Amino acid sequence: MVAMTAKELLQLGRDTVLVCAVLYLFTLDIMMAGGVKMDLNQGAVVVHDSDHSMASRELIYRFQPPYFKLSGEILNEKEGIRLLDQGEALVVLDIPPKFQHDLLQGKPTAVQVQVEASNTVLGTLAASYSAQIIGQYGFDAALQRMGLTGEGLETVPMLDDRHRVWYNPNQEDAWFMSISELLTVITILAMMLPAAAAVREKERGTIEQLLVSPLTPMQIMLSKVISMTLVILIGTAVSVGFVLYGFFEIPIKGSLPLFFLVTALYTFAMSGLGLFISTISRNLAQAAMLVIMIMMPIILLSGAWTPPEAMPDGIRQAMYLSPLYYYIEMAYGILLKGAGLAVLWDSLLGLTLLGSVMFMFGVGRFKRQFE
Amino acid sequence: MNINRIKTLALKEWREILRDRLFLSLAFVVPISMMLVFGYGIKMDVENIPFAILDQDRSAMSRDYLHLFIDSRYFDYQGDVANENEIDNLIAGSKIRFAIIVPPKFQETLLSGRPIAVQSLIDGTFPFRTSTSKGYVAAINNAFNTQLLTAYISQKMGVTAEQSAAFISPIKIQLRYLYNQEVKSIWSIAPAMMMFILLTTPPFLTALGVVREKESGSIYNIYSSTVTRGEFLMGKLFPYVVISCINVVILWLIAIFAFAAPFKGDPVFFFIASVIYVTCTTGIGLLVSLFSKTQVSAMMLTVVVTIVPAVLYSGLLVPIASMDAASQFEAHLFPAMYYTDIALGSFLKGIGMKQLWTRVAALLLYTIILWVISYNLFHKRVKA
Repeated sequence: MVAMTAKELLQLGRDTVLVCAVLYLFTLDIMMAGGVKMDLNQGAVVVHDSDHSMASRELIYRFQPPYFKLSGEILNEKEGIRLLDQGEALVVLDIPPKFQHDLLQGKPTAVQVQVEASNTVLGTLAASYSAQIIGQYGFDAALQRMGLTGEGLETVPMLDDRHRVWYNPNQEDAWFMSISELLTVITILAMMLPAAAAVREKERGTIEQLLVSPLTPMQIMLSKVISMTLVILIGTAVSVGFVLYGFFEIPIKGSLPLFFLVTALYTFAMSGLGLFISTISRNLAQAAMLVIMIMMPIILLSGAWTPPEAMPDGIRQAMYLSPLYYYIEMAYGILLKGAGLAVLWDSLLGLTLLGSVMFMFGVGRFKRQFE
Repeated sequence: MNINRIKTLALKEWREILRDRLFLSLAFVVPISMMLVFGYGIKMDVENIPFAILDQDRSAMSRDYLHLFIDSRYFDYQGDVANENEIDNLIAGSKIRFAIIVPPKFQETLLSGRPIAVQSLIDGTFPFRTSTSKGYVAAINNAFNTQLLTAYISQKMGVTAEQSAAFISPIKIQLRYLYNQEVKSIWSIAPAMMMFILLTTPPFLTALGVVREKESGSIYNIYSSTVTRGEFLMGKLFPYVVISCINVVILWLIAIFAFAAPFKGDPVFFFIASVIYVTCTTGIGLLVSLFSKTQVSAMMLTVVVTIVPAVLYSGLLVPIASMDAASQFEAHLFPAMYYTDIALGSFLKGIGMKQLWTRVAALLLYTIILWVISYNLFHKRVKA
């Protein structure tokens, strides 16, 4: 069996393109994913200022990075629509004439905010940040009129909103995105590599040779799974060491041995699915597409994109069927939160149970092929 | 170029695809199910966030304040805790996403007319959820502040509650969401998904189709035949472009009917642009297949060259205008960005050829370059 495992590794090592692709996925791909920012980042704001006063300028200058950047002034509304159409502006701010005058007089005035909402996530964020900025400005202006600034504020009953963000104090998207991408890469490879290794033997006809060899089906299969798990674990180690810790400087809080143990368990579980795929597909093209088909619900139900609590009831229960759900919980728990078995035991139990079922299922199907 | 030979080759390829029933059905099932799964599955709205409360004041006022959270549909109240350690454990185990701590003497301080700090502890594991939760907490705090100040000002200046309310928020905000007035996320996801699916699946099919011949050795029949390089490439890829064009129509119908997304643009323009786009992405598959010897590596390479630009450089998550100069440059090198503009423009903005012709021209240019490179890289003679 050791010989078989070595053979699998050798075969993989010979395919340079494949090795490069795997290496790429574990390093550069994760680095790039870490560059994605989910929060509003320098959304372009253009202003149509009909007042040109101190007050309007002060309001305009509150639209600052990181959320916004001012990208110029326009002279009429048509120009604003054109920029929104072209996607060159995210927000058009329209300040009415006599804005300062009304404000000083205590008369109500209105500011128009047009938001490009063809991307709803960014649209909503831009709208809520703009509303916050304008609301705060009005509030400050009112307090100023009352003569309540600086020291005076100490005498006003007000809540001071203080928040502490745990595990990721500066809310670096890279921390989340890079780990999320790593887990996705592991998921894809854990299914794809064993499936590919098994289907290739079928396609080339070398499986017949294996059949007449003294190896039992179990040995053939285990050697494939073990070699691919090894490859994935090495890739993961490279990724955690160089990309997560080295490049993004994520403070790894929990125990790394535990993380690798969990990863190995997860890889085994997923390889069960990979083997199952290899039994129902005749060639690699089919196997590849089946991998995608099976992967999508697994990722979707894992809570990686949509928080479990936002899912409708039926789907929320279905999430317990996605192995990635447990793995995500544990991976973030160990890497970012520094959680140990005391907190994560239920996820570990879930993954072990589900993983055993999946693995046995794959093994069962694979064995039957030989009979 | 001989049309007849191309036809024969295309027919042969078509038969081969038809015979592989699983491959054929997956060629359509994968894009459709991707569309449905992503369309119904991605919910960016953050609701029902589980949270806990640590009330160290236990006064009438703190209860009023905390009820603003408990009654909100964005939050899901999980109960009171006795101390901060409990909060630690709950957040570490993902049982709650944030906690509100009301300090002692909350009521006393506020009634005596002094400010007080209220702390919230937020789980930062998922930054998007974190900033959304933070926004909701800030909004509730603002609402409570407005109440407090309204009461304070009307008392101090002797005006009615309405007057003092108008006083503290003098600026009304007229918010208008353009192109998607009700901010339905599915409306913007559907066109973006078309971009994503049509970028990732056609190269997959093509690369696997071409490399299959390489791996099984049947490509030697082509090498030794009288078919020219150009004829082979055209004939080989034509069926895949056709499959992708059918997928364009199917996805478009799903977007319009299943997701009820509006289509304000010109269907003919959109269809022509889409055909150019899938021809372009098929070309990516062709190029990939020329580099790889085995189907596995073709698969991996396809994943690498399509998914990353589709996610990162398409404007799907990050608008191109917000990127730094280097990323903006990279975004312009991939076809995804141009098609995102075309799809969103045609669906939501109702703009057409007049505003989008530069994008179409870019795609066309991209396609031609890809095909020319592939043509030059594809040799009938195997290198020794």
